[in-house]
Amino acid sequence: MIWSKLTFGGFGRRFVEAIAAATILAATSAAVAASLMVVEGARTTLTRAISQDRPDIVQIKSRFNRALFETPRSGNLPPLTIPVYEPLINPVELERAAGSNQVVKRQSLFRNVVTGDSFLNIYVFGIDPDAERGLSSFSLARGRFLRREDRAVAVLDQASARTLGVDVGGSFPIRKADGNDLQLTVVGILDRLELRGAPPRSAEAPSLRPDSTFVSSGAFVNIHTSEDIFGRESLTDALVIARSAAAVPDLVAKLQEAFRLEPGIFVTERYSQYQRKVRDFVLTLALFSAVSIATVLLAGSYASNLLHDIYVERRRQYATLIALGFPPGMGVAPAVIFGLVLGLAAVAIGGLAALAFVPRTFAMPSLMANLGPTEPTFDWAVACCLVAIAIAAMSVGLASTLARLLREPVAATLSEASP
Amino acid sequence: MSQAFVSMRSVSKTYHSGRARVGALREVSLEIEKGEFVRLGGPSGSGKTTLLNLVAGLDRPDRGEVFVAGIDVGRLSGSRASKYRAEQVGMVFQSYNLIPQLTALENVLLPMLALGRTNEGRARELLDLVGLADRSDHIPSQLSGGEQQRVAIARALANDPALVLADEPTGNLDEQSAERVMGLLTSAVRERGRTLLLVTHDRDTAQTSDKCLEVRGGVVTSVAG
Repeated sequence: MIWSKLTFGGFGRRFVEAIAAATILAATSAAVAASLMVVEGARTTLTRAISQDRPDIVQIKSRFNRALFETPRSGNLPPLTIPVYEPLINPVELERAAGSNQVVKRQSLFRNVVTGDSFLNIYVFGIDPDAERGLSSFSLARGRFLRREDRAVAVLDQASARTLGVDVGGSFPIRKADGNDLQLTVVGILDRLELRGAPPRSAEAPSLRPDSTFVSSGAFVNIHTSEDIFGRESLTDALVIARSAAAVPDLVAKLQEAFRLEPGIFVTERYSQYQRKVRDFVLTLALFSAVSIATVLLAGSYASNLLHDIYVERRRQYATLIALGFPPGMGVAPAVIFGLVLGLAAVAIGGLAALAFVPRTFAMPSLMANLGPTEPTFDWAVACCLVAIAIAAMSVGLASTLARLLREPVAATLSEASP
Repeated sequence: MSQAFVSMRSVSKTYHSGRARVGALREVSLEIEKGEFVRLGGPSGSGKTTLLNLVAGLDRPDRGEVFVAGIDVGRLSGSRASKYRAEQVGMVFQSYNLIPQLTALENVLLPMLALGRTNEGRARELLDLVGLADRSDHIPSQLSGGEQQRVAIARALANDPALVLADEPTGNLDEQSAERVMGLLTSAVRERGRTLLLVTHDRDTAQTSDKCLEVRGGVVTSVAG
């Protein structure tokens, strides 16, 4: 009871100043928390961009042919105009240009498949199963995934399997380049897949998620099988994984140099876009950090000044405690506890206000054009900053009183005229 | 060789005010025996309070030694000095220095709290001793100056200290209150056989004190009672 009275009692008219200091600290905390939440949200967006965009990946793709169409063996369907890459990339040339960077080869082709009464236009992807699983996401509903040593086996998405009327163990024919059919045995059914850097959107077969570059349906075979179907080794597209994102510009230059005489091959990278996002993040960080720092300096110093007035008036109390035999640390403990309780309560209120009123998504188009909308996030970093503000305000407010008590004789304070 | 209860040997203390140096005490040596009542007089600014603060361990001498009950007070660290004050010293200030938000009883309990052993019964006894048993729940602003100083005396005796230091305890009181406070202080200390070092301008106390000292210009001299 005595300690609580020593800490929180007897403020008199200074109580109003304590409330004012707490209010200012709460408002400061709210502004700082809101700014830092935007920065944290932007950081999360950037982290997501790194994991999703994979700026370290360079894509090589052939031009796609919009005039390609397949005529079904039966029925009277109109010709299709569907984009499919042409197989123009020489894999040996690509390996040489990529150097020590990992090359993930692909052949994508479009086929119409007739099984019994069913007819389906389907993309067939020839992939390197081991390398591709590190880049794209395949979730099996049943069966198994492809293996490098497989021959004439396929993995299908559920919708395609249902349309073709096949399941694990079943088979369906694919027309090869030489005009013969190759029977592909289904070894696995996918319930979800996300293929990184897939061919462009088409109307019929590969359904894409909105705003996504991922193909979400198709038949997957390993690249040896697709070579059998295609009748050649040249690739339609490929991904080259740079050793680091920073190595991308050099890698792109080498690839462009290697294929400079082939106008139908394009080298695309996401590194530049990623760099713009980094720049956006840095700008966001700078702007909102500046807002935070300015707010802390202006409002925080005012709150500290109010606390200083309170502490100065109570200096005699702290000195009396020391004179009565309390260790100096215990003598000033009520001041420290009072400041911390006041400051922490204020920043807690400010933090809650920020959580309640900050918009769920935040965007400044002119500034964050590439970063897009960010979701302000309250995390431990923000909480630690708020606690630091409370401690800083208390420390700055208490500093002169503490210095006076600990550096000058306590007797000098006790001899001062009563306030 | 037996040592006096309070012993100061060639103690000097100088304060710095800007570039000016103010010599508060110069080569002061004195001895006070246990149980003695010593009156310390002298004009304002002569160094009386400085001497008291050095004995209390609230300040350190620039030169010389201050011993109280065999303890080298001038060389105590912060926490040891606090323990020394809590166990050995009771202080009465001219401006009372009561904690304004605490009741009279809680103010008396404070020194006990410093030692971690509060005894409300003893605190009430002490308030009874100074005639304030019925005012124990009053805060200082509800008490007169004389009453506040009586609470301060009860507080000074809370841990039954061997040495009581009083710095002009009647300086802010009217004549009647001053007389009562001084009577209470001296009788309470004498009854317990404690040592009292009293800074005062009141010449009447010279008759009841065992020893009278005079501080002038930082130099202590013994004067007849």
